[in-house]
Amino acid sequence: MNDILVVAEHRKGELRDITFEMLALAKRLAREQGGAVTTVLLGEEILALQEELSSLTDKILVVEDPLLGNYNADPYLVVLKELISRDTPYITLLGHTAMGMDLAPPLSARTGIPLVTDCIDVMIEESHLSVQRQVYGGKVNAHLQLKPAEQYILTIRPGSFTYQEEWDSSATVTKLPAPSWDALRGRRFIGYLEPEAEDVDISEADILVSIGRGIGKPENIAVAEAFAEAIGATLSCSRPVADKGWLPKSRQVGTSGKTVRPKVYIALGISGAFQHQAGMKNSGTIIAVNKDPKAPIFKVAHYGIVADLFQVLPVLTEKFKKQ
Amino acid sequence: MNIIVCIKQVPEVTDADLEITSDGTDIDKEDLEMVINEWDNYAVEEAVRIKEAQGGKVTVVTLGDEDSEDVLRRALAMGADAAVLIDEEGFEGSDAAGIARGLLRVVEEMEFDLVLTGAQSSDDNWAQVGLLMAEWLGLPFASLAVKVEPKGETVVVHRELEANTLEEVELPLPAAVTIQTGINEPRYVSIMGIRKVRNIQIEEVSAGDLGLEASQIGKQGSSIEKIRLSLPEEGEGAEILTGTMEEICEKAAQVIKERGGVA
Amino acid sequence: MAHRPMFLMIGQAWIFYALAAIAVILFFGGLVLYLVTWKRVDRKGRPVFSWAAVRRTFEDAVLGKRTFKGDVTAGVMHLFIFWGFFALFMGTGVLSVHHYIVEFLRGRAYLVFSAAMELAGIVLVIGLLWAAVRRYLQRIPRLEHRAEDGLVLLWLIVVVVSGFMVEAVRLSAQDPAWRGWSFAGNVLAKLIPTSTASSLYPYLWWGHAVVSLGLIAAIPFTKLFHMLGAPASIYLQATRSPSGLIENEKASLFQLEDIVFFDACMRCGRCVEVCPSSGAGEPFAPRDFVQAVRKSLWRQNSPLGDIRFFMANGSQQVDEKLWYCTTCRACLEVCPVYGAAFEEVIKKRVEVIEEGTKVPPLLNQTLERLYRYNNPWESSKKRRAEWARGLDVNDITKEKDNIEFCYFVGCTTSLDTRAQEIAKSLVSILQAAHVRFGILGKKEPCCGDIARRVGELGLFMEQVDNCISLFEKYRIEEVVTSSPHCFHTFRNDYPEVLFRTRHYALVLDELIASGRVKPTKSLDLVVTYHDPCYLGRHNGVFEEPRRVIKSIPGIELREMVHNGPDSLCSGGGGGRMWKEDIDAETKMSEIRIREAHGTGASIVVTACPLCLIMLEDARKVQGLEDELKVMDLNELVLMSL
Repeated sequence: MNDILVVAEHRKGELRDITFEMLALAKRLAREQGGAVTTVLLGEEILALQEELSSLTDKILVVEDPLLGNYNADPYLVVLKELISRDTPYITLLGHTAMGMDLAPPLSARTGIPLVTDCIDVMIEESHLSVQRQVYGGKVNAHLQLKPAEQYILTIRPGSFTYQEEWDSSATVTKLPAPSWDALRGRRFIGYLEPEAEDVDISEADILVSIGRGIGKPENIAVAEAFAEAIGATLSCSRPVADKGWLPKSRQVGTSGKTVRPKVYIALGISGAFQHQAGMKNSGTIIAVNKDPKAPIFKVAHYGIVADLFQVLPVLTEKFKKQ
Repeated sequence: MNIIVCIKQVPEVTDADLEITSDGTDIDKEDLEMVINEWDNYAVEEAVRIKEAQGGKVTVVTLGDEDSEDVLRRALAMGADAAVLIDEEGFEGSDAAGIARGLLRVVEEMEFDLVLTGAQSSDDNWAQVGLLMAEWLGLPFASLAVKVEPKGETVVVHRELEANTLEEVELPLPAAVTIQTGINEPRYVSIMGIRKVRNIQIEEVSAGDLGLEASQIGKQGSSIEKIRLSLPEEGEGAEILTGTMEEICEKAAQVIKERGGVA
Repeated sequence: MAHRPMFLMIGQAWIFYALAAIAVILFFGGLVLYLVTWKRVDRKGRPVFSWAAVRRTFEDAVLGKRTFKGDVTAGVMHLFIFWGFFALFMGTGVLSVHHYIVEFLRGRAYLVFSAAMELAGIVLVIGLLWAAVRRYLQRIPRLEHRAEDGLVLLWLIVVVVSGFMVEAVRLSAQDPAWRGWSFAGNVLAKLIPTSTASSLYPYLWWGHAVVSLGLIAAIPFTKLFHMLGAPASIYLQATRSPSGLIENEKASLFQLEDIVFFDACMRCGRCVEVCPSSGAGEPFAPRDFVQAVRKSLWRQNSPLGDIRFFMANGSQQVDEKLWYCTTCRACLEVCPVYGAAFEEVIKKRVEVIEEGTKVPPLLNQTLERLYRYNNPWESSKKRRAEWARGLDVNDITKEKDNIEFCYFVGCTTSLDTRAQEIAKSLVSILQAAHVRFGILGKKEPCCGDIARRVGELGLFMEQVDNCISLFEKYRIEEVVTSSPHCFHTFRNDYPEVLFRTRHYALVLDELIASGRVKPTKSLDLVVTYHDPCYLGRHNGVFEEPRRVIKSIPGIELREMVHNGPDSLCSGGGGGRMWKEDIDAETKMSEIRIREAHGTGASIVVTACPLCLIMLEDARKVQGLEDELKVMDLNELVLMSL
């Protein structure tokens, strides 16, 4: 009853980061309670994944079946319901990801276990469970105290927990047979569709290095590109740059381009006109570099550097090249 | 193709300065405009498009106070045919499951091929209601749809996964699908358009009509004991970094490493 | 006794009458189709009588005054064609009267007649050849090279030349004593031996008859219809009340004046020549739009579909090009039949807005924002009066002192950082001059201009009601606006109201003239002035801003190539601020900023917040920051106080 169940997430033969993040949380919660961490691994031909997990969890429950090869809510729900009723973990963790969002609510409905989604922190108190989440598009924090229950299901927001260590033991593996598949509802997995090899989607990036008119000439973009590369960022831009065709329109941030919310947004030589601000002001951390101390970008940025970006960039890039 | 779309009215918070109510359980909505939840707007547009292509009927359902009628009217102006308003009395303090139980009672009385909902709402961000209903209705489902293609007895859905990948699945009808933003371009609803549908009767029901008991909905039926909202810390404008270029860049690099997860 | 023999050597004259009958039936049949179609487009439209309209029609249709505008050569050429044709046409009529009713063309009368016809024919030929040279040799850009253009021109030339040929052959065959009075034909006749003349004559006569009758028949089915359509359009547009609102949901969108304009359009292309959108290489051209709407209205309403056979392949698709028009009015300024292509664009937008699926996404969001938050820029009302913080400006909604006017700041001026300087400067000027004014503060609504220009009439009516009730509540009778758009909308698009609206340039002009504002500091600057479309072209305010500028000592005002009524749009109007994805070769605003730069001025002055923003952006993109500044009129005046 103090055990934590983690539903591992994998796609195309690779474990996704959220799995490791959940395991970090699970370990903390389990250790607090003196319980164990069990990872559920569903799939087909997943020995490699099982081995990868072996040093990161106390137990692994493996169910292999062709129907589980690629994620499909139908069979996954049947298996998980059985496993949860078999093991009755206190908390079942899934990622708040495309898979977890698809799976958790129906699982909750099917098992009758209360569900809280998109948690960024979990606290086990004496008599109850509390979680931290965000509402109103991230503008407001919410602390939820849940009613006492025997079990809970939680989905965890990716990026909320970082996995640091490995455990010193190796997990005990239990292979379970697939259940009978008669409760399925007919959902059929057809395949994955990759996007066409077109330009990068800047709204996916964690860090954006965004250039504005201050870059001066297209030839100068290389300096910004070098910096972006050094920090693993994607290059984006404000309207004048896209208008001039120095970068493709898909890189434009703003009301008539894309709205982005990276963890870090670095604005270089962007004045921060209203239309641009609207496209990036909800970024995690905004650092602005501009010669003009009155540039509107400084109103929406968290950190500002009033200087010529061409003087800043070389020095800043060096800081990352030391690795 | 008969389609039911469950929609929600939410406050518009994009450019607003939010304040928490004194009891800490919600934000102060007095100065906020109420709009249709963005995801639901996409869902209504998708439903109307399918209807325009294949014929059928679109019914929209919402749970809320009488102001919620606005989102129903808007949906009617977009091309929905009928609308149902579930009065929120009794549902205050519900969690996602409580809301889903209410909507469920209305939906299960209707004939439908598809039940659409937005993948989540911009206020609570639960992302649960649509799928809870799907499970209780015994329907095959798919969430985060960016493409919905009815094909006779089935519907093909493209789900949006991370890293620009899509997952293609097929569901037999009747089915439930939750809709992701960007699936289509919702049409504009003109004032004239809303005036034109002002005479369509909106059906109103209450928790009592639906045979729901207090233990299933509202605070009693919720799995949450207490909610406490708070606003994150905020500063006024940028902290301007000072010092030599070396010092400035050192500080900036630190920020980038910490906040950006750069090693 | 001088006379002209009729039907000389022509047996079987009945065939001629039969052909004539066919031609006439086709001609009148075509006209009937027009009338039927027009009626179906606008069931309630009826022409009204007005002497002013009659006079204008006379000036423009008969004297051709309008065709001279901006292109004197074209005016002269068209006059030749018009008068030549008209005279010859009348001549045929006169001849018919002579032949069937009373034979008066004898002796002197005939000689004068003959000479007059000669002159008319020569003038017509010169005009037609000139037209051909302009279109095919000079290749004037606005003149197209479609099959219809060439064919109609050729046909007319053939009619006239064949006429001369028939005459020449007749003169040669008959050799009358008065042949000298038909001087041109006479010259030709000398080239034709008498023997061949007689045998040629019937052929040429029939040939001329057929092409001439064919021409008459073809009028309704080709661009020649403009001979009738143009006067009709000029007359109707002159009797039209100023752009009223469509209040009745059931009133037809396109009215009689509109469809007549569309049918009168003969594709002269003057609108395309001055349209800033076409000039910037954008996919929009007023002519194409007009013709597309014409076609679609005909297809919907005419019993036989579109009878302009040469436009069979034309598109009736309007689609997203519809949103390119900035409604700058340059087209109306030059259209020979007073067609306002931009008004038609707005009408079409009304349709598209109501239908809903083809509204550009950004515009979609903008209109929603406008509806809820009274401004197109952000989803909040809270920052509306932020610009005034610390400036000690009287807020009328809180306390209405005795004020001279209400300063209606406007959405863009209130919220855009650059444009806010307009308000701040004006406030400084007014306060220095001790002018008592107030603003509406946070309660200031939107005047509705954007909604009106993009065709969201329902929203516009709501905003009108909003503004009017607010003005009534605070008993505001004098309104001064920053934006020419607000100015225009209040003055022209609002129903009868109790308040007077002025743009601030008019107020500055008055204040300077009366000495309340004294620009005393000398500014040693060369400036140029950009006429905002909605201040200048739409409302005729050209002089006042210039007077204000010139009242500043040390200022030299240089005009751009396109100034006053010819001013080039900066691209901010007509809802274009909120159109993404403008597919243009060069941006409109950049064309304009280059023109400003070309005057050698160090500052380009404007009097509109949208122009200010557009030109500032263009200046940056063109890399002109160090050479050219963009300033609002208020900012300039403030510098001199």
